[in-house]
Parts: sequence; C-alpha cells; structure tokens
Amino acid sequence: MHTRLHGRGALFDADPAGLAPRLVGLVPGRHRAHSLEHPDEPPFVVLTGARGMGKTAVLGALRDAYQGHTPVALIDCAARQFAEPPTGRPPESWSPSAAALLVIAEQLAEPVTGAGRIAFPRLMAGLVAVAAGGWGDAEADRIRREVERILLLNDRGGKFGAFAGRWAGKVAAKVVAATTHTTPLVSGAIEATLESIAEGFTGHRQQKASEWYRSYPNAGGNAQRGLILLSQHFRDGGGSREHAERYLVRAMLADLTEAYTGFMARMQRLGRPLVLLDNAQTTPGPELTAAVLRDRAEGIGDRVAFVAARRGDGREELPNAARRQLAEVARRTDWAPDSAPSSRALLVALPPLGADDTLHIVGALCADTAVPSHLPSAAHRLTGGNPLGVVLLAQSAAQHLPGVTSLGELLTAEVRPAEDQPALPAHQALLDRLVPAEYLEELTVLAAAHDHGSARALATALLPDTFGPADIRALQTSLAAEGLPGVPDQFVGDPFVRALLLLRLHLRDEDHTSWRRAHETLIEHYAEPEQAPYRLHHELALGDAEPAVARLRDDFATADIRGWLRTLRFIASAPYFHAHDAEGRDFGGRGDRRAAVALGTTDAAYPVPQDVDAVLHLRIRRLLHAVWELTDPLVLPDPKVCDRLRFELEQLSNLRPAAGALLWRASRDWPAAVLAGRPLEGPEDPEDDGRGEA
Amino acid sequence: MAGGGMGSWVREHVWEIPLRRYLSLALAAVLVAAGVFGVRTAMREARQCAPGVSRPAGGEECLGVATGPYDFGQDQFHQVVDSIRKENSTLEPGSYVTVALMLPFTSTAPTDLNDIEHQLQGAYLAQYAANHDPTGQPPKIRLVLANSGTGKDSWKPTVDQLDRMTRSADRLRAVVGIGQSTDPNKDAVAALTKYRIPVVGSSITADDLANGRPGRNPDPYPGLARVAPTNTDEARALASFAKKNASKPILVYDEPGDPYTNSLKRSLTSLLDISYDRQQSFARSDASTEFGNIVPTLCSTTQGTRTILFAGRHAQLQQFINALGGHNGCPGNSFQVLTGDEASYLTYDKNLDRDALGNNITLLYTSLAHPDAWAENPPKTGGSTADYDILKGLLDNDKRRPIGPVALDDGQLIIGYDAMQLAVNGIHHSVPRGGTTPPLSAVGRAWSHVRGPLKVHGASGWICLDGHGNPYDKAVPIVRLNSKNGTQFVQLAWPQGKPPTENCPMT
Repeated sequence: MHTRLHGRGALFDADPAGLAPRLVGLVPGRHRAHSLEHPDEPPFVVLTGARGMGKTAVLGALRDAYQGHTPVALIDCAARQFAEPPTGRPPESWSPSAAALLVIAEQLAEPVTGAGRIAFPRLMAGLVAVAAGGWGDAEADRIRREVERILLLNDRGGKFGAFAGRWAGKVAAKVVAATTHTTPLVSGAIEATLESIAEGFTGHRQQKASEWYRSYPNAGGNAQRGLILLSQHFRDGGGSREHAERYLVRAMLADLTEAYTGFMARMQRLGRPLVLLDNAQTTPGPELTAAVLRDRAEGIGDRVAFVAARRGDGREELPNAARRQLAEVARRTDWAPDSAPSSRALLVALPPLGADDTLHIVGALCADTAVPSHLPSAAHRLTGGNPLGVVLLAQSAAQHLPGVTSLGELLTAEVRPAEDQPALPAHQALLDRLVPAEYLEELTVLAAAHDHGSARALATALLPDTFGPADIRALQTSLAAEGLPGVPDQFVGDPFVRALLLLRLHLRDEDHTSWRRAHETLIEHYAEPEQAPYRLHHELALGDAEPAVARLRDDFATADIRGWLRTLRFIASAPYFHAHDAEGRDFGGRGDRRAAVALGTTDAAYPVPQDVDAVLHLRIRRLLHAVWELTDPLVLPDPKVCDRLRFELEQLSNLRPAAGALLWRASRDWPAAVLAGRPLEGPEDPEDDGRGEA
Repeated sequence: MAGGGMGSWVREHVWEIPLRRYLSLALAAVLVAAGVFGVRTAMREARQCAPGVSRPAGGEECLGVATGPYDFGQDQFHQVVDSIRKENSTLEPGSYVTVALMLPFTSTAPTDLNDIEHQLQGAYLAQYAANHDPTGQPPKIRLVLANSGTGKDSWKPTVDQLDRMTRSADRLRAVVGIGQSTDPNKDAVAALTKYRIPVVGSSITADDLANGRPGRNPDPYPGLARVAPTNTDEARALASFAKKNASKPILVYDEPGDPYTNSLKRSLTSLLDISYDRQQSFARSDASTEFGNIVPTLCSTTQGTRTILFAGRHAQLQQFINALGGHNGCPGNSFQVLTGDEASYLTYDKNLDRDALGNNITLLYTSLAHPDAWAENPPKTGGSTADYDILKGLLDNDKRRPIGPVALDDGQLIIGYDAMQLAVNGIHHSVPRGGTTPPLSAVGRAWSHVRGPLKVHGASGWICLDGHGNPYDKAVPIVRLNSKNGTQFVQLAWPQGKPPTENCPMT
C-alpha cells in the first residue's frame, strides 16, 4: 500500500519549496525546474533518527518523487549484497564500496524525461580493472559475466544495443588469452578495456574518459598504468584499498559531471542527479560518504545531490557537520561549509509525527473502517509520534476493528505487515524493527530496570550467566548509538519502546513468571527505605496497591507536597497490562478496575485498614488509581476519571492549607495535561527527576 | 497527469526541457509562418483576377497589368485579347520588349468600351505589323493590357506594377493609350513619367496634359508623346475651318469646365475673336435647364444658318443637340454646330435625337482620325492614302488573327494603331548599335527625333513631334455626324491652316 508521507512537508513541499526541491533543483513528482539553494555545492544531507522514525520511507518517497525526472539511485547499505562478495568472487577483487558504486551507477544510468542514458566509462574502466584482480584462475564464462555486467553501464540501448555483448566478449577473450601467455593478466584486461573504449567511442568525451586515469598517482601520464595501479592498490587492501575506492567514487562523480556538462546537457537535463543511501551507518555508507566529502573539501566538486539516512546522531563520524531539526531546514538550511570535510555534510534530525499527522495516517490506513474517535490520539500518545508505531497500530486497527479497540489489544493482536509476510503480534512486529534483534531478549528483561544497578540485579536473576555487567554497559552504549534517548531512572529511555518491551516481558510466559520474577527481583533489590518509591512502583506493577496507598497516606500530612506529588506520579507510572481483579491479580477479562476504584464505586466494599483516617485513605487510594490509569500510555484518558482526579486534588488541598496552592494548581494542571496527551509535571518543579523523594 | 491535464503535460514534457522547448518554438514559428504565408497566398489568390491582375483590398475592380490573357470581364474584348495572347506566345523569351496599353478596361460606360475596344484592335494591328515586318527589326513587341480603372486612385497599383516591369524580364519600354484627359489620367501620366517610363498618349488632347507649356516647368511630363493634336491645335484647325465656312459664330461653353473644354474655349475665343455677347455659358450640373434657356436666345438671332461653337463634353453636347432640335427649339432655323473630338463619342449614343441631326442641325467636329480622310484628293503632304492603306491592308490581312467587328468611323482604331506605331518606332530607333533591347531612358528621348525624314507615317496622317512630344500640324479631319449611325468625312483641317512640309515640323 502506498502511503503518502505525513509530517515531512519540510522536505517535500513544493510551494514554498522544502529541502528536496532546493537540493535537487526539481519540484517533487514533477518535471519542473526549481532554483537551487546551493548552486555551487550542495550539502551532503544526512537524515538522522532512531529506528522507526521513517528514514527509509523518506528515501523511498524521494526516489518515487524524482524517478523518471532526474537520475536517481537508492541503495540500502545494510543489504546483503554489500555484506559479502557473491559466490565465486575472491575478496581481494570485491569490496562493499565497489559493489555499491556499480549498483548506484546502474540505477543512475536509466534514461529520464528529456534525456537519454548516462554512460560511465571512467567508473566502468576502474571496475573492470578491480575485477581483473580476481581473475587469476577464473573461467572464461565468469570473466565474461562480470565484464558484461560492468560494461552494461555503457549500454546506451538502440545503436549500442549489442555493443556491450561484443565488447565483453572481446575483453574476455583477451583476458583468457592473457592467462595462457606471458602478458600479465591484469594489464591484459585493462589494455583490452581501454582499447575497447577508444574503439567503441570515437567522440571527444569518450576519448577524454579513456585518458582520465592518466592522473592516477604515479601513473606517469599513462592511463593503462594508472588502472594497473588502481587494481593493485585495491588488491593490497587496507589503506591502499581505501585510496583505490576513493578513486572509483571520483570516477563515478566525474562521469556524472561529464553527463551534466556542455550545451546539450543544459538543453536536456533539469536539476541534479540524486543518490540516496539508506542505513548509511553501515558499510559501505561511511566509506562512500567520507570519499565524497573529502573530494568536495579538496575542491574536486561534483553535481550530485546526496541524501543519506543513518541511525544515531552521527556525531562521531561527522563531527563538524551542521545539525538541524527538520523544521529548521523547511525554507533554508543556513549551511556553509568550512575546511573540514565533515562540515560539507548537513545532519537533519527527523522529528516524531504530530498529533495531526497521526490522525491523517490512521485515517488513510483505516479508510474502509469506522475508527473510534479516541484511537488516533491514543496511538499518538502511546507511540510519541513514532511513524512506524503509528503505521503498524493503524494497520492493526484496520485489520481488527471493530472487534478490538484498546491499544493493548491492538498491540497483542496479530498483524500482517505485508501481504507476503506472516502475521505476528503487533508489538512483536514493532520490536523486530525498533530494537536490534541481537539484544531483544536482554532488553525485554532489562526494560523493567531503572539504572545500571537494577539492570544487574535483573540480569543476574533472569539472564544467562554469560551476560555480565560489561554487557549491560555495552547494551547501554548501543542504545545510545541507535539514537534512542537516555532518560534518568529508565534503562530504556524511549517510553514507547519500553512499553513494548514490558508488554513482551509480560507475555513471555503463559503464567507471566518472567514478569513476576522481574518485578519481585526489583522489589528485593530496592530494599532500602529510601528506595521505597521504586519498591512501591514494582509492587503496584504486580497489582498490589495497598503499600503505596499506605505510604502516600502516611506521608501526606508531613511531606513536602512537591516531593509527595512526584512520588505519587512515579509509583503510578507502574505498567498495567491485563486487568486485575479485586485482589490485584490479573485476569483475562476486558475490564480495567483502576477506573472503578478511581471513581469510588468499589469504596463501599473495600475494607479500610484499622486505625487510619478512612476518608483520607480512600481519597489517596482513588487518587493513586486515577493517576495510574490516566498516565498509562496504553489507555486513553477517561474524562470522568480526569474530573475525579481534579476533585480529589482539590479536596486534598483543603486538608493541607499551607501547601494548598500547589495541590490546587495540580488539580487544574494535571487533568488538562492528561487530556492534551502531555506527561504530568510539576506543578512548577524544575528539579523533578521523576523519582520523588525517598 | 490527470489533474494537470494537457497543459501540465506540455509544460513538463516540452516547456521545461530547453531542447524540446526551443525545438517546439522553432516548429511553432515555422507553422505560424507557413500559416500566415498560406493565408496570405489564399487571400491573394482569392483577390487575384488573373496573372498580374487583382482586386485591391476593399476594391471591386480588377486592377493591374494582365501579363496573361485576360479580358477584364468584357466579352467584347475577348477575341482581340485572345489574338494578342497568341501573338505574345509566339515570342521567344529575351527577344522582346513589352508595351502596355493602359486604358480603363473595367469601365461600364458603353461609349468608353467601344473606344477601348477599337484602340485595342488598333494596338494589336500595330503589334502584328511590327512583329511581322519583313525587315525583322528587333526587338519584338509584346503587348499587355494595363487597367487604369475608373476610380480616382485606381491607376496607382497599375503604375507601380508597370514600374516593376521595367526592371523585370518583361522589359517594359513604353505605355500607350491613357484615354481621356481626366485628372486621374493626368496623375497617372505624371507618375509614369516620374518613373521615367515613356508614354504615348493616343486620345489625350488637353493642353495641360502635354509638355511645351509656358512657365518655369515647360515639360512636366518628360517622356510623354502624343498622337492626337492638342486642344489648341484642334481648335486652331476648327477655327481655320470655321473662318472659311461660317461668320459670326456663337460660343456655348462649359463653366467652369475642365482642361479639355477650357482649352477649346480659349483657342476658339482667341482665334475667332468672339465677343462676350456671343458667348453663352452653362453649368454641367444643370445643363439641360440651361440649354432650355440658351436655345430661345439662339433662335432669336439672325436668320439663316447659324454656326454654334460648342466647348463642352459629349454628354452635354448630346443634351444640347436634343434641346436644339426638340419641340422647344426653333424649327425653321438651321444650325451648324462645330465642336471638338468629344463629339465622336456620340457616334453610337442611343440617347441622341438623331432626327434633329437629319433636319436642321449639322454637327461638325474635329475627329482624331477618319477612314475617309485620305481616300479622295488627299493633300500632297501631311499624310497619304498609302500610309492609310497599310492599315487597311492589315485589316484585310487574313493571316492575322481575328479582332472582332471593326468600326473605323470613330477614328479610335486608327489612333490606337498610330499610338502603338509611334511607340514601336521609338523603341526601334532606341536600340543601341549591336544590341536588341533599348534602354528605358533612350525610348523617351527618341520622341525628339520623330520629325522630318524620321516622322511616323501614321494612318491618321503624318506624326511629326515638336521638341515637347506634341504632334506638329497634325491633320484634323472635320467630320459630320450622320443622322443614322456613322460619320461622314467633310474635309481635312490643319492647325497651321495648311499641311506641313516634308521637313515637318520645320517649315
């Protein structure tokens, strides 16, 4: 299903122009020229964001918008074809970068409206030279196959239709002949290639192309020698290979520059060619990026618009790059490079989607279904605007409405992400794409942790012995590199990912053993009195609200009200999956008893402990359940419970006249924040660390 | 593309791509140019009447020079036009020069059409004679018809076209004809001579449409030659006739008149010394009323045959004769009306009261030519029977092609023939030694040599030109209009009172 991207107008808008038309010089989806923001040299745009932020979707949409209008290439650096050499290809004549260049050039060569195919004689000659390095004991058929694939880059169709085939045959014949003669193999292949270029193309440009490798270092003005050195460097590996790869990148950019130079090019081509690199944090993404940026910094310009997408913020790799939020580049980038190569890049962080965008996506994906009015805002509140989360929830809703309506049920219901893929629970499908697969199990357990110490306790209790403290730290580092935000007192900072992981933990065993053990472990871990809020938080997660009510009741009269409110919020942020029965045990029904308690309907049957202020106890109990329910990301706020929250806080403000103002303020701010989908804060408490006082 | 439609497709697939944009603009420009060319050609063809002849925008007449066979829609010209076409078609390219006969071929007046037909016949005969002359003197003569039209400025496109033809392969070297002495014709002659095109006037008689005038600019029409004597010469001849044949004539004249009537009046009054009391004027616009008043006055004068000199145009002459011979006239009295060559138009005028002519009115007038002028007892000089017989021989020649019914009485055929003869003579005498084609300017200069031994032996009499292209002492036949159709030659009269000598114009 084709989904129009929402919330990415800063990139795709046509009037006023977003970043894409200003970068490419074409109105998206149209064959209409647009003025360039940086006519001399465009920034190397790198889109950043965590998993699920829609980077791949943006690149796909860019390709769709410009394909057929300007040469476009899109590669996924994490694809298998760039991970290892194809069968039979020796590693010394293959590298991810060289493979990526061939794929990019193949895509860029395609004809576009108004202009024909682009030829890549420089890149082709270089790739043949590199491939020749691996032909030592190859069969003629394999050589022919490899050469043909590379030479098809120069297949302009029509007049040159059978040309590549003949050419490949000729080169292969020479190479095969060279293996049986004294002529060195590589130089034989290179000689044949250069001869073929000279014979096949008589134009001035092609002649120029065949002489391009004369300038290769130490080539001494001899193109053949240059290519032999290139092949040698590539085979040598290490720094030499990097050098050769940079030269191959330069060859491709020179071919593109040639295609965009001259009178006829100006008369036929609009805008710039566009190269899109997905998962650019993975090899060969960083290598290609570095090669382009280095050449640009050295004044070897090109005319290509690059847009890469990478996880994480790229600070280490591109230290001097300009950093912008997507909204900041909507009208202009304010980008100016300095002497550092990485300053030629422009990092643009993709933001979460807004509530309106969520509404539009749910509307688009559930076009044939009646969507409950609360669902879009609930989805936005749960996912925090994570595009993948919104889309999968909407897909789940489209497949299960009207039978399933709550977010919890939508997350556990099976969803089929694509027609050719098997159905699996929505939360599982989300975790597969939001969390590195290799850490999923560990993170499922550690999601309940708050810090390194609690994580260690959980690891000890629930994870294999091989997973030690160092692994916990490595996992933390990995999460940071993925671009997941770090939040105090939460091992997994992203609330949406954490909620999914906790849900997975809860569902790991039929009888929720892991879930219970995790919380019980943490209850034990937080044995110290000053750690009471943690303990109470996890007790509440296991369904036992009484200790929390008692503690809050007892502290109310004396505690600092700000701290008391923080503690209340922290305890009430405990996860709540299946509904609990009157004793706090979860059961399979659909009811949510928190609302009933918050609204006071259970008060009559509830046995108030002896020797306590019964009114205060019941009020605190109602208040705790109200906050617990209203801050649960899996449940949409109930206005009645909101009203009750306001009422209870108002009443409490009467009991503590000195701190009445704060409680009164909370009685107004909290229901409003809940209804607006904002987290509960304050009131006016900049010191709030979410944990409260001990 | 559905949203943007065709406009968006054109913009993105053509306009936005410079190469396609410029190619399509060039293609569009070619198409527009072809369209404009096509429309213009179609309109020109729609306006075109025949090769060289077209209707100007907003005009009805077919104007211009018919370079092919075209009779201007007049059936009576058809036969002679076809003969001219055949004669022209025998000419080898490069062997000929072109002479244009310029007349108002699209006129609707029957008398004009008769005159034109007769001049056309005369011109063809002269062309035939020149091209079939046994001496074979080059160049051959191609005759084309140039329509000056009937409008005030209708001559302009024709004259411009004639000018272009002097420089084209047509090699136009003279224009003959012109017709009456009207203001448009005067302008046309002025334009032609300004272009240095030699002009031979056939029936121009007005004094002011001639060179050799007093004042600072004696030759306002350089290159103009005339076959017909000026009005003054005609008046002189008439006066010399009247002096011998009438006493105390009365002058009836057009007031304010035109160049023709005024020159006639002026010559008659000065030569015959007519006092004011014997002069009666009329206004052309109210002529019939005024003639009603004039006739009783005439009747009351001395008994006997009265001679009336009439200085007016033929339309008023016809009214005057009708008034004089009608019931309100003066029966019992006889009148002799003398007038200029305008009377020749009455030859075929159906409105003329011919009974009056039969009874008591004799209409005598100076004709430009008459078939009987040289038939009996011709004078020894000034013309000859033999000269006329050449024309007669051509008329009887059955080798030439047909020219339709011939009527010689009005003299137009003879004068047309002589005008063409004069043009051919000038052309032949201007051919440079060793060459075959005369320069345009030389033809005009040749007029000054037409005298003495180089005079043209015209069918209407000798054509000796003075230094200004005007005929000197040209024979003026006095003819009488019969009551029945036709004229009767009376006698020859001479502007100088007697025929010229052999060395004309020198005496």
